[in-house]
Amino acid sequence: MEKIIDIDVQKLLSTLLYNPEDPVLFNSAFFFYFFALFLLCYLLFSGSKKGRVWVFTLFSLYFFYKACGYYVGLVILSAIVDFNLARWLHQAQRRSLRVFLLVFSIVVNIGLLFYFKYTDFFIGIINEVTAGHIRPLHLLLPIGISFYTFENLSYTIDVYRREIPPVDDFMDYLFFLSFFPKLMMGPIVRAADFIPQISQRYYLTAEDIGTGMYLIISGLFKKMVISDFIYLNFVQYIFDDPSKHTGLECLLGVYGYALVIYCDFSGYSDMAIGIARWTGFRIPPNFETPYRSASITEFWRRWHISLSSWLRDYLYIPLGGNRKGKVRQYINLALTMLIGGFWHGASWNFIFWGGLHGTALALDKVRLTWLKRSGMVFSGWGAILLKGLGILLTFHFVCFCWIFFKAATFHDAWALIHQVAYDFQPEIWKELYLGYRTVFALMLLGFGLHFLSASGGQHVMEKALARVPVWGSVAILVIFIWLLIQVKTTQPMIPIYFQF
Amino acid sequence: MPANNRSAHPFYIIAGTMVCLLALSSVNNSFSLQGYRFRKVDLLADIKKEIPARISKQRPLAQKPAPDTLHATDSLQAAQMPAHTRPSYDFMTYTGIQENFDTASAGMQHFLQALQELKEGKRRKVRIAYFGDSMIEGDLITSDLRDSLQAIFGGAGVGFVPVTSIVAAFRGTIRHTFSDNWTDYHFKNNPPEDVLLGLSGHAFFPEAESWAKYSPVQKRRLDRFKRVSVFYGPVAGNCNVAINNKVYTLTGTAPLNELSLRQDTLQRSVLLQYAGGEPLPFYGLSFESDTGIYVDNFSFRGISGVELGKLRSRMLQQMQRSHPYDLVVLHYGANVLFRPEATDYSWYQQLMQRVLASLRSNWPRTSFLIVGTADKAYKKADHYVTAPGVPALLKVQHALAQEHGTAYWNLYAAMGGEGSMTHWVEGDTILANKDYTHFNRHGAARVGALLYKAIMDEFKQEVHPYSGSY
Repeated sequence: MEKIIDIDVQKLLSTLLYNPEDPVLFNSAFFFYFFALFLLCYLLFSGSKKGRVWVFTLFSLYFFYKACGYYVGLVILSAIVDFNLARWLHQAQRRSLRVFLLVFSIVVNIGLLFYFKYTDFFIGIINEVTAGHIRPLHLLLPIGISFYTFENLSYTIDVYRREIPPVDDFMDYLFFLSFFPKLMMGPIVRAADFIPQISQRYYLTAEDIGTGMYLIISGLFKKMVISDFIYLNFVQYIFDDPSKHTGLECLLGVYGYALVIYCDFSGYSDMAIGIARWTGFRIPPNFETPYRSASITEFWRRWHISLSSWLRDYLYIPLGGNRKGKVRQYINLALTMLIGGFWHGASWNFIFWGGLHGTALALDKVRLTWLKRSGMVFSGWGAILLKGLGILLTFHFVCFCWIFFKAATFHDAWALIHQVAYDFQPEIWKELYLGYRTVFALMLLGFGLHFLSASGGQHVMEKALARVPVWGSVAILVIFIWLLIQVKTTQPMIPIYFQF
Repeated sequence: MPANNRSAHPFYIIAGTMVCLLALSSVNNSFSLQGYRFRKVDLLADIKKEIPARISKQRPLAQKPAPDTLHATDSLQAAQMPAHTRPSYDFMTYTGIQENFDTASAGMQHFLQALQELKEGKRRKVRIAYFGDSMIEGDLITSDLRDSLQAIFGGAGVGFVPVTSIVAAFRGTIRHTFSDNWTDYHFKNNPPEDVLLGLSGHAFFPEAESWAKYSPVQKRRLDRFKRVSVFYGPVAGNCNVAINNKVYTLTGTAPLNELSLRQDTLQRSVLLQYAGGEPLPFYGLSFESDTGIYVDNFSFRGISGVELGKLRSRMLQQMQRSHPYDLVVLHYGANVLFRPEATDYSWYQQLMQRVLASLRSNWPRTSFLIVGTADKAYKKADHYVTAPGVPALLKVQHALAQEHGTAYWNLYAAMGGEGSMTHWVEGDTILANKDYTHFNRHGAARVGALLYKAIMDEFKQEVHPYSGSY
């Protein structure tokens, strides 16, 4: 038997340091140790608010450091700036000063985000237009900056609107901003929801334990079993070079990607919400089975809720929302989505993706207005049929948009669409099925759970998990993680290139 | 703490799970069940001391250890030595073209001489037939090689294009559309005994109103057609085709015939239509100008090169009479490495020996270049590493080159050797696809440039052995 406890101290130390090639993920062994140690310290200091805040903040900042090195300074810096700006905003009475402070906050926050995320994109455009040779900066994007920038903004805007009072204690604000469960992939948390929970004592009911456990397990399952597996073994091959694959493969690749992005993103959100719940914080759900939406308007109420509600409250409504006439409303919608698309990344693909959704939302508003005016109401089979059609149509529209979201270039996106339209080759279905059996089984499982699971199902599971004793939970988690490791370490399937 | 406060439970659950998993990690917990091997759980893998890996015996040993810098200085060294006493290279690391084999055979000799004659105006054309699999589909690699060579040696035109192609829509060097009623016999669908496959591995039979249309693209040297050749099989009775609506009666009776036309300067495109008569096989069209160098892309998805054995002597010899090639490049490997950990490729060696013997005997004067497989990575314990099959296959390919006196170029070494595919996929500039096998457009351009450089280095040495500068 090989020697087991032969630990390499050098390696152990280097594991504790920032490594740009190895970001921390909730599904890593590192996070496991980190989380255990954190829970121990948190528990030890849970008696006092100050203890909880300091322990949580220090662990969060370390987590930040581990994920993105000295960019952790940006979080602290932006916390200092916005904490103070909000206080001055609150004290100031003169309108002009208040406006100035608000604008200053927006400029600083958006400026930072722009500098890191979009500079190269605009340098590219300038180079293109002027045939110039400005050298791109190649900056590493500080992890989480898109999320905490929006959190900072919602905070200062809320204080400006006098909807909430500013936070008294700087550490509370830093705690809110750096809260590690939501660090990398959101959800975007509002200070108004979060800050009041800080002073509540650390008290968990059986239901909290059950719900947290359910969210963590289902999140890991979505992310590692469904999303990662389908992506690595099928979807990435298709999007890598759509022209090498038949239309049928491309179409299934797009369906696969729809599941991958949902499970990846919502799985991560679930884990964040579950972990937060175990530490005594409630964060509202970020996804509510979005592909079951019967219209694009509904979709955006159920997809990445923390972002879409942020865009609504801090962009769409300030732009005028629906208060300035129909035409302005449509323009506002389109603009909001365009910016929302750009938020996802610095490329024309994301802008185009946002534009498609914005246009669809505006058209859907026209439809809704028309329905309201005509007073048409469907019931019985007609309503069910219409809803089914709506779901089918919405799902396919969203899938169509994902092509642009995922494809590396417009060229690739059009190549994929070309294959589906002109080179479908349905006759290869059998070989395809035999080649990727496991992938398709998982896709079926994923979509099956998404479309068919009853909303009460989750509740029943949470209840059941709440009743399980500690040793039972340990057993469940051990077996589950063993299963995850089996899935994670399987040899990736080698892609099939169909001859004809 | 009140009795019903469960705030300690998360810690108990996580700590308990961790202890169990650590305990599990300390025993060898991998086991097999009904033939399926379950993998080991090891929570300490990241921080354990690495057990030094046993030195792999599969890696072919170098003939002679050569410094990595050899390729940087070789043109100088080689320049001062007659060809036959050149240093022997380590075929696993040398990034130039290797042709220092014992067999007194042509290597690249004929081709390099042809290039020189072309350069001096003693010869009008030089042709390269570049055979490969999906790695060169859509004119990848070949388009870059062609462009670079034509820039130096002249010539304009994309060369051979088949009648139909699965990648026509994505070929950036010509616009190509066709009707869907051509019957395509090819390497993989067991053509009838009497059907003679063309060099591309296909033979296309028309039906009423079958057509294929070709248009030039807005690229250097590809933006207009000058000379168009149609390749077709023997005519037994009477067969007509229309080219840009002008009807021609085909008369050739050889296994392969060529209808060569000068492109009407008023027409941009070429529309080939079957215009009745006895159906006979069509092979494709060739787009060249009157002089210069041409690189014909013969890609066939999913093959290992063994399939070239299906090309008949009659076809090969006739091709060489009417449309001669000076260099044949054989670029295969991706489809041989379908099991990344397999290292025995003697089966491949045996099958390819027959193919090479046939090609060599039918085209005795032509130079041959075997391109050793590109690096291919596979996932092993969370990381993508070079498949053990890669060096094993390279060894076999090198042995084939040696045995048949062909030149050899190690693409794997040129890419950067061990682990290079992982860099090509994961680097800042993405050069290859996530299957860790295929190049993307940028990667293919780089390979084309590397091969061009290797050929030019060879050309400079051969043609001006004593001057050292060119």
